[in-house]
Amino acid sequence: MTNFDNVGVIDDDFAPAAAPARGKAREAAGAKVAVKGGKGLTIGIGVSAVVAVIGIVLWAMQLSGGMIQTAMRNLDSWGLYITMFMFFVGLSAGGLIISSVPKAFGIKGFGGISKVAVMTSIAATVGAIGFVMVDLGQPGRVWELFAYSNLGSPLMWDIIVLATYLILSCVYLWAQVQNEKGKVSHAALRVISVVALVCAVLVHSVTAWIFGLQQSHEMWHTALLAPWFVSSALVCGTGLVIVAVAALRASGYLKVDQANLVKLSKLLAVFLLVDLYFFGCDLLTEAFPAGSGAEVVAMLVSGPLAPFFWGEVVLSIVAVVLCVVPQLRTTPLMVVAGILAVAAIFCKRVQLLVGGFQIANIDMPAVMTQFTVTNWEGNLAQAYQGLVYWPTPLEFGVTLGVVALSFLVLFLGLKFLPLKPQDQE
Amino acid sequence: MARYGMAIDTKRCVGCNACTLACKQANNVPDGVFWSRVLTDGGDMPDTPASKDGHLSMKYYPMGCQHCENPACVKVCPVGATYKDPETGVVRQDYDKCIGCRMCMSACPYSGVRSFNWEDPKYSLGHAVGDADTPEHQKHTVEKCTFCYQRISKGETPSCMDLCPARARHWGDLDDPESDVSKAIAGRSYEHLLEEKGTQPSVYYLV
Repeated sequence: MTNFDNVGVIDDDFAPAAAPARGKAREAAGAKVAVKGGKGLTIGIGVSAVVAVIGIVLWAMQLSGGMIQTAMRNLDSWGLYITMFMFFVGLSAGGLIISSVPKAFGIKGFGGISKVAVMTSIAATVGAIGFVMVDLGQPGRVWELFAYSNLGSPLMWDIIVLATYLILSCVYLWAQVQNEKGKVSHAALRVISVVALVCAVLVHSVTAWIFGLQQSHEMWHTALLAPWFVSSALVCGTGLVIVAVAALRASGYLKVDQANLVKLSKLLAVFLLVDLYFFGCDLLTEAFPAGSGAEVVAMLVSGPLAPFFWGEVVLSIVAVVLCVVPQLRTTPLMVVAGILAVAAIFCKRVQLLVGGFQIANIDMPAVMTQFTVTNWEGNLAQAYQGLVYWPTPLEFGVTLGVVALSFLVLFLGLKFLPLKPQDQE
Repeated sequence: MARYGMAIDTKRCVGCNACTLACKQANNVPDGVFWSRVLTDGGDMPDTPASKDGHLSMKYYPMGCQHCENPACVKVCPVGATYKDPETGVVRQDYDKCIGCRMCMSACPYSGVRSFNWEDPKYSLGHAVGDADTPEHQKHTVEKCTFCYQRISKGETPSCMDLCPARARHWGDLDDPESDVSKAIAGRSYEHLLEEKGTQPSVYYLV
């Protein structure tokens, strides 16, 4: 049995002076610690706003000077932005699902974290949409998506579902707030939570289909991809909620029973194991016929993507261990498990995106130019020797800006919306 | 209603890249962009052979857009900027519509036939070259071989045909048994690139 006594002390003896030390983990994730929802949160809003503005300036540079300043090229035509898009769509899952499943099925939830969890979903969805925008060559033509929609395109499906998801998350949050005021009935809230849950599963499936329906990339073209995206989303979403809830509790923003945090980390372990199981199934199916799929597995296990492959495997396993061994389920270690889980899924996203471009269908040599592939100076074989794609500083800068935008949305929500549990306000 | 296609005789192609240059010139293709290239099936570098058991082998595959019957790119374009022209069967690209999402580049199995203008198009010459009615190239949009649509819509042939010194290319309506292309294919064994992807290309490689 877990000894809750020692960890309970953290809550009871909460001292603001100790908060900065505890906030280190959050800072490592690029965030500013929010102390008591007051000054720290204001600083967080300021910092993320400044970084977001810098990101917008860099994006303007990318558009005016040309996307030649990124490392993306014809043979690796997507890069960090679409990796982060997948990653953020995944992050947006956890909050909404953790919040809506208990309501939808009428089971006991995770205490007062429901609204905060949905807020993380909203922030991550805004980030995901931001990453699609910065990837576009002609963002000024984005209105065409609505004027000339090709409803057969998985990208169009995703835009529709993502927009619906964002609106629905906001409605769901609003409904919860109204419900506490007694203005929205429990039945209505339950209906909204069911719809939100279906939409959450759809948003991950559709994002997977952007990749999984392409016969051109063997690595992506699998029916498993959609359920796998759902499980990966559950992993990193739950990880994010654990980190966010622990940080908000440490800063005194809300009170959460340790038991709820433990419940979340057990859930994280289950999601991680499901995700690893899917991973194993996929690797075996690719490798077993020993055809071209074996090339994909070799690329992952011992090729250029090995650091991200083994990174995901090791991080996932360590996170599972931290979550299932009762003695290890202390608050700091559960936060570590949450961070490891999020990092593991990031490794997965890199594998998927770069891995998809790492094996060219036609690799016969021909004339190469600065537009052909990232490392174009040698021949094609040399371009594919290491990672075919690695982002430029500009891409990192723009990415940081979009991440900051997400944090800005989250911090603004925490500051100005009534997200604390009703009985704690 | 035509279904234009091309047959390329790999036994005749000498890998001279005359088609590569003819295409670039006719369509005023910007620097660094190639709609048509000649791939070497051999060693690691262009124009180098592969060696197996002391025997050298080398073959050329001139390659541009395959103008598939079942194009993967058309299905995924969210705004319909790339589409299959019903009159000719040619897969076309509307530069004015393209939002630059590069979904088509990712969906096309034929690595490298689609090209994105990663910066403002630049040209070695101070003036435009080639056909007067070729559409202007745009920054941050995807482009590719159009089978020289500006020419074929006037009943002419694509530019890559014109200069081929080995007469390795044949052009015409695949549905018309009397067309050059149909006659060239008839009685010859041919292959499609990446046939297993199910895209049904309109480019036939005679072997």
